Amino acid sequence: MASLDPRIRRAEPALWNVELPPLPPLDQWQTYEVFVVRTRGSHAQHVGSLHAPDPELALVLAKEQYARRSTCVALWVVPTEAIHRTAPNDEDLFQPATDKSYREPQGYLTTRERLEKYRHRLQSC
Amino acid sequence: MYGNLVLRPEEIPNWGKKIEEEDPEKLAEFEARIARGEKIEPWDWMPFEYRRQLIRMIEQHAHSEIIGALPEGTWITRAPNFRRKLALMAKVQDEVGHAQLLYSAAETLGKSREAMINDLLSGKSKYSNIFNYPAKTWADTAIIAWLVDAGAIINQTTNSKGSYGPYVRALERICWEESFHLKYGYDSVVYLATGTPKQRAMLQDALNRWWRPIMHFFGPPDTQSVHTEKLVRWKVKLATNDEMRQQFLDMYVPKIWELGLTVPDPLLHKDPETGRWVYSDPNWEEFWQVINGNGPCNAERLAVRRFAEANGRWVREALKAPQARYVTPLA
Amino acid sequence: MLETLEILLLSLADDDLILGHRHAEWIGLGPILEEDIAFASIGQDEVGHAQAYYQLLTDLGLPTPDEYAFKRPAERFRCAHLVELPNTDYDYAQALMRHFLYDAAEQVRLQALRQSRYEPLAGLAERLLREEKYHWLHARTWVEKLGHSTQEAHLRLKSAYHFLWPYAWLLFEELPQEAAMVEAGWMPPNLELRSRWLELITPILEGIGFDVTPPASEALLPLQGARHGLRSPHFEALLAEMTEVSASEPEAEW
Repeated sequence: MASLDPRIRRAEPALWNVELPPLPPLDQWQTYEVFVVRTRGSHAQHVGSLHAPDPELALVLAKEQYARRSTCVALWVVPTEAIHRTAPNDEDLFQPATDKSYREPQGYLTTRERLEKYRHRLQSC
Repeated sequence: MYGNLVLRPEEIPNWGKKIEEEDPEKLAEFEARIARGEKIEPWDWMPFEYRRQLIRMIEQHAHSEIIGALPEGTWITRAPNFRRKLALMAKVQDEVGHAQLLYSAAETLGKSREAMINDLLSGKSKYSNIFNYPAKTWADTAIIAWLVDAGAIINQTTNSKGSYGPYVRALERICWEESFHLKYGYDSVVYLATGTPKQRAMLQDALNRWWRPIMHFFGPPDTQSVHTEKLVRWKVKLATNDEMRQQFLDMYVPKIWELGLTVPDPLLHKDPETGRWVYSDPNWEEFWQVINGNGPCNAERLAVRRFAEANGRWVREALKAPQARYVTPLA
Repeated sequence: MLETLEILLLSLADDDLILGHRHAEWIGLGPILEEDIAFASIGQDEVGHAQAYYQLLTDLGLPTPDEYAFKRPAERFRCAHLVELPNTDYDYAQALMRHFLYDAAEQVRLQALRQSRYEPLAGLAERLLREEKYHWLHARTWVEKLGHSTQEAHLRLKSAYHFLWPYAWLLFEELPQEAAMVEAGWMPPNLELRSRWLELITPILEGIGFDVTPPASEALLPLQGARHGLRSPHFEALLAEMTEVSASEPEAEW
């Protein structure tokens, strides 16, 4: 069946039947992680990854893949290999073993009660 | 206590293991996490079978996007006015963007983009059958953008409730962008349906030709496609093919009829007792034929992809950094 | 004066429309997914810019953007031949080099048009420059990176540059009734724009080892007349393809 694709008519027919040796490793370049700053004053937020040969092109390419619809004021790119994370089995690092309410505002909910009790005592004297 | 993420098959200790060979304690922990509704992330332990199934599924999905850009891409230069031309450019661009997101999600599981492209071009990996049919007229693009994208949204919305974090995050963005495709497609269809007799005829003809591939879109009937209980428990498979097909028919057949179009299946009706749609056999033999490479456009689609990869090779080679090191993206 | 204004705006609009159309031929076939997406945006912007220029004419009671783009005979187009050139064999070096030479010209043109005494045009130029900033960043980054990479890339860019150079030069061919446009303060003369364009691109091209000298007049001679309606041999097929659907049912809405 003849192609319906006008694009196919634009190249020499031989080109559409090229032999292609397998893509070698890193043919698609290394990866970068992309962060967007949505509004002035907000933190950068991780939105995904991107293949690019260097940071300049990573920014140029990230702009259309990660910011073509959403509003944002800045983009950051970081080589994926520069990102270090805590180990997967270390989620428990973040779970306190003892009551740490002394360093949370919710740890001070009874102050008022204390004061009320004192007043009560004064009145009853 | 810390490190960056480098996932290569040789560095994944349980690569290639059968499910019964996995560490039972880790497996139980993994399943408990999914049962609690938590997501699995690339750095978590996972059974190899889960990894394998997800790579296969996400990779196929990515290939479907990049191949799916071809039939509609054919019509960009022929779109009949500014609004359609711009929208179709944006839509096909989105498909390429979805492929980018999905390849990244699959990469997090330990298969490089190069390896996936190689498997696509060699015919080893599959993609959605529907893109092996030709887009013959402008009305085909309208039907694809409306009904094929509708099918894709049902499929993707279902999968977005899955357990694998990077895939779910990619799908959330994809579904959001696809909702523009669906609106654009429906708008195009309505213009044709309410247009001149020639336009209506063109639309009906497109629907006639696309109906069968659309019925095939959700995959073979449940009686022929046994998905193990395990994939359901792991939240890899969230609905059966027939459930998704029924959902599609429920949502779209009334809309098709509302436009005064005929669905080319005289048997098609909703059984008032079971509440399920009844339809003729959409020729599953043809489905298997196309999957195995014998559809009307299989060879052309792969040739075009091979051309694009070969043609862009000098660009990629020119900028390849000699000191670059592959690290699995975080997606 | 309306006729003069139409000549100016059609030249600007037709350049953008036809180049955007050519860029769109690349969607889905780019050298890597990320670049495919970026280049598709640039193509969309160009088509959108064309629409906005035609709209300035529509606002004056002239045809609509769709009528200008899809219902106009070939000889009434005023685009430069540079934008009509086909993507023969899909050579990305040529696509990038055309994009570079063209978007440098857009920078210069739009910067000048911001000062136009035809206010709707000045306002539009101001808005379009926002998107053009990205085009220029994209073009310059790619040309500089590839220009300093492998021998193959350098050679490909160079041969694209040599092929495109006379066409690009003629982006600044004098417009019909240009004296009246300059007199009205709508735009500076094209000769002046061309020298600003050369100032912008020369350091970049020389930086990657390309000579920048005016094309020989015998190279230019056969390519002249585009702004007067003389179309290149590639245009007829392009227009036939672009209008295939709209012409198949001329009275229909799509």
